[in-house]
Amino acid sequence: MLKINYKEKINVNLLIYLAIIIVSSAILIYLDMNKFQYNYAISIIEKSLVYAVVALSMNIVTGFTGLFSLGQAGFMALGAYTTAILTIPVASRANVYYMNGILPVLENAVLPIPIALIIGGIVAAIFAALIGIPVLRLKSDYLAIATLGFSEIIRAVIASPMMDKITNGSYGLKSIPGFNSSLECFIYSLICIVIMILIINSSTGRDFKAIREDEIAARAVGIDLFKTKELSFVVSSFFTGVGGGLLAMFMRSIDSKTFQITLTYDILLIVVLGGIGSITGSIIGAFFVTAGKELLRFFDEPFAVAGVDIPLFRPGFRMVIFSILLMIVVLFFRKGLLGGNELTIRHLKKFRRKKNLDVAGGAV
Amino acid sequence: MTENVLKLVDMGIRFGGLNALDGLNLSVNKGEIVAIIGPNGAGKTTAFNCITGIYTPTSGMIEYLGKSIVGEEPSQITKKGIARTFQNIRLFKELSVFENVLIAMHLRYNDNIFTSTFRLNINKEKEMREETKRLLDSQDLYKYRNDIAGSLPYGIQRRLEIARALATRPTLLLLDEPAAGMNPQETMDLTSYIKEIRDKFGLTILLIEHHMDLVMDISERIYVIDFGKLIAEGSAKEVQNNPRVIEAYLGVDGDA
Repeated sequence: MLKINYKEKINVNLLIYLAIIIVSSAILIYLDMNKFQYNYAISIIEKSLVYAVVALSMNIVTGFTGLFSLGQAGFMALGAYTTAILTIPVASRANVYYMNGILPVLENAVLPIPIALIIGGIVAAIFAALIGIPVLRLKSDYLAIATLGFSEIIRAVIASPMMDKITNGSYGLKSIPGFNSSLECFIYSLICIVIMILIINSSTGRDFKAIREDEIAARAVGIDLFKTKELSFVVSSFFTGVGGGLLAMFMRSIDSKTFQITLTYDILLIVVLGGIGSITGSIIGAFFVTAGKELLRFFDEPFAVAGVDIPLFRPGFRMVIFSILLMIVVLFFRKGLLGGNELTIRHLKKFRRKKNLDVAGGAV
Repeated sequence: MTENVLKLVDMGIRFGGLNALDGLNLSVNKGEIVAIIGPNGAGKTTAFNCITGIYTPTSGMIEYLGKSIVGEEPSQITKKGIARTFQNIRLFKELSVFENVLIAMHLRYNDNIFTSTFRLNINKEKEMREETKRLLDSQDLYKYRNDIAGSLPYGIQRRLEIARALATRPTLLLLDEPAAGMNPQETMDLTSYIKEIRDKFGLTILLIEHHMDLVMDISERIYVIDFGKLIAEGSAKEVQNNPRVIEAYLGVDGDA
């Protein structure tokens, strides 16, 4: 009886994930077929998917390796610009770069979207590897400040006149080919998320977690601290870069202002809200935050009861409501909605059992 | 001829103006159990930190199996076969008991991110899990395998930390106050346990301990450190009767 059947458990979960994927695809196909009717819903779903990719990639470094990095926006910018530059149709290029012209090398450099996305990720990863060497020797808040600074530098460089012929400076890039359907967005995001989940649950992921738990103990069991941190940072940045590329495709036009610090905070919010160190938390958090912000638009409209306008209902009020909701979540679910746990069937069952036990305990 | 495992020659370390350790000479032979004792703040743990590479000594030599290991990364030193436990238990607290030991197995199964991500290492992984299971079983910890390490009782956490150190398959095991916080019965159990793992895994053990019963019972040789300097060495009996040791522990006559 000592033997536990890992395989069976994994298979049950796998089946459920497959079911979720199939059902989601079916819903998306349905939405795609009625594109005009569900335009708004589709855009919310696409944005949530992109944010889920970036939030999970941030979680790798923050939640699973315990490195508090705030460079998300910078790495997203690198990925987004790379993808955009490599995918804008040649015919539209003269139109996009009408002010300063384009670097001759880039004039005809067009790649298929998946390859452009991967290159975007690689560019972000290379930058991460380079800045990781000095920066990852810092701890907690110092690391956060250093990465934040880096992210701003990237943004400033992108907007600078010297980069005009590549990034189109402060004019930004437009005519970026978008997703043909929400299913396409779903597939790209899904591939990224699945690979990240595989990494987190692999032996490499276990090394990350060991570092998060105790750096000195991790070194004492033979984990090369610097190499492993660097690996985590690079992998995370790769997927952040790909996420940035997806965001460029979603928005179809980007400029350096898209990648301000507020973008990093949005992602951080998702990670914290979903639960630091929880995969399902990041994904659910992405939908929760993105959809929440949109659904609360109701509060921005004038609202009248019996012909009297309620004074608070005006543009901007939804952010007040949203912030209050956030505070409630943070106060009552201090570790985020899932708090480092995963939403799996086993946990749901455990949760139910615990609840029953609580009830039984109360009766005694 | 006994083989020398660890040798410190005139090792010293300074932190600013403070000589935390000064001219420490120490040697440990294969299969021995050697203890370092001394009052609080004498530099015992600092010596451990130097041996395992957390600190780099500012002077002197550390030889492991005849080769210098000064300046190497802690992870490299662990790979060479020196494992340790910590005075204030350092487990991966939020991970399960099984994972704690499994992570320590990694270093014997070199993997890279691609093989591990795409599960090309499935056989290695299986082997690692089997071995973890065997080790936990042999240490009587298997029943706790799914428990979160930080939630275990203190004594079990101590044993888990030793099990995790054993998972790296060390030649030399450094135990930093393994009996801290244990009652006399637990200390006695630990004494026989340490001897048992020494014989079973063919270990050489260097330990720091304050429980004199344990130290006197199992150590073949004892080193006494005070204020960063070696003040005595020898068998339990020799050390017990050494006036300098008595002075360090009890103070000089007339102080009281």
